Amino acid sequence: MNDRIGRIYFGVLGIVTLIFGITDLIVTMGGNDFSWGILEISSDMFRGGWGGLIVISAGFFYLSSLKNFLEIHQLSKALMASILIWILAGTDIFVRITESILGGEEGPWFNSLEGFLGTYTPPYPPVIFLLPFSLVILFFLSKKGKA
Amino acid sequence: MTLTADERWDLIEKISNKVVTFGKFKHTLKDALGELTVKPLTGIPIAITVLYGFWSVFSSFAGTLCTDGFFVKLFDGHFLPWIQSVFPGVGGWFYYIFVGDPAADNCFEAFGVLTSGLFVAIGVVLPAIFIFYLMMALLEDVGYMPRLAVLVDTIFHRIGLHGYAIVPSILALGCNVPAVTATRILETKKQRFIMMTLLAIFIPCGAQLGIMQEVIPESIGIVLLYLIFGYFIFGFILNKLVPGKSPEILIDVPPYQKPMWNNIARKLRMRLGGFLKTAVPFVLLGCVIVNILYLAGTIDWLAKTLTPLLTGWFGVPGETVGPLIAAFLRKDLAVAQLSTIEMSKYQMITSVVLVSIYFPCIATFVMLLKEGWKNLIGSFAVLVTVIFLYGGLINLIWSLLGVQ
Repeated sequence: MNDRIGRIYFGVLGIVTLIFGITDLIVTMGGNDFSWGILEISSDMFRGGWGGLIVISAGFFYLSSLKNFLEIHQLSKALMASILIWILAGTDIFVRITESILGGEEGPWFNSLEGFLGTYTPPYPPVIFLLPFSLVILFFLSKKGKA
Repeated sequence: MTLTADERWDLIEKISNKVVTFGKFKHTLKDALGELTVKPLTGIPIAITVLYGFWSVFSSFAGTLCTDGFFVKLFDGHFLPWIQSVFPGVGGWFYYIFVGDPAADNCFEAFGVLTSGLFVAIGVVLPAIFIFYLMMALLEDVGYMPRLAVLVDTIFHRIGLHGYAIVPSILALGCNVPAVTATRILETKKQRFIMMTLLAIFIPCGAQLGIMQEVIPESIGIVLLYLIFGYFIFGFILNKLVPGKSPEILIDVPPYQKPMWNNIARKLRMRLGGFLKTAVPFVLLGCVIVNILYLAGTIDWLAKTLTPLLTGWFGVPGETVGPLIAAFLRKDLAVAQLSTIEMSKYQMITSVVLVSIYFPCIATFVMLLKEGWKNLIGSFAVLVTVIFLYGGLINLIWSLLGVQ
């Protein structure tokens, strides 16, 4: 297993995460939602403000894990950064699930199939895009476990 | 048989040789993660993330899915029109107590025992309490709570407590009743008094949070901010005023572990059972008493008498007397009742803060009494001072900002 690959991968991921977090905060301070293609950044204080701070923290965790990446304490920082992203992305997905099941105050008891699937269509917040890339830490952990 | 000191030491050595394995300590990933969660630089962002996840799941499950998505439709769309049509004696006092306003088109405004009472208890509070205790049990079982205690230890020392005070503080966010019992983990009388007083005044219970999320979702952050500031400011003052010791703690932090679902289910069942037994009867009783007081004209009389104080000092309408009386029985009921009174956004924030810091609900009152009447009288004295100082201060802040 190559320590260098891990450093490059999580270095790039850390910078991208940091940029997303800073963008979250800027959009929140601006007060208007930002949408670009399938990406949407909320200006809501909770998701954009606190969420942005958490994404920035995740970025710093990734970047601080780069030196001597495969050492257990450094690897744990990268894992913690991924856990922060999993919590944020997990809550975003959970919000969509809770919105997708029932038919709304005026509608029927349960959502239609179209309405249900429609809840999961883009745009998505930045943290959803970070989610698959953050899962790579599991590969490094399994390699470390076997070593 | 009596052993000499040398023989005892020999025996100890033999036992330890058999049961203790010696080797070089090697950090595992769990150890390293555990260290990250207790160091302030890394632990604070992690704690913020955990609380973010906690609140996000709480509000979307209890608010979006259960209350707005299901119970509002069930109660307002089906149950309320049905009970309004089948309950006998429209316009009579019996109808007024049990069904409430016959013209109401939602359960928040009807204010009868079988309408608002059942809706608040089952439709709003029960889902909130369920998800709160589920996540709380999960965090306890994973092993995060002792680490949070270590992380916040320094801050709590400023108000005469220590890290373990986080346990009753967070429990109180679910219900103040078990939280009062949990203050026994604090060592000295001084610590227990400060903790009981602060949680009875400044920590809104899960039921109240659920109602606030439903009634004033856009202002809930400001209300919580006021309460958090109050918690620390008055904690700091109490620490200076109350005599006694605030000792250090030595915590044995267990390793992180996979949650055991049996444990979680047992804790959840126990806490939910306690809530259903203590809270639901008080919600229903609260509706009965407040409706009787309305019918007897007592609340109108109190509103007129106390209007100069309420509008002059606190800046809220005289009609808030009703909810303040209901708050003694159930605070969630009182917040629900506030939502039916016409007032500005800022008056609503002040009113909700007042209801929160106003006398603890009767169930908490009984628990405080069980812990000792001296504590109760002390807490009561602090509470009256806090209401007047803090309530007046909030009104002053709004006036200075020119937003009242």
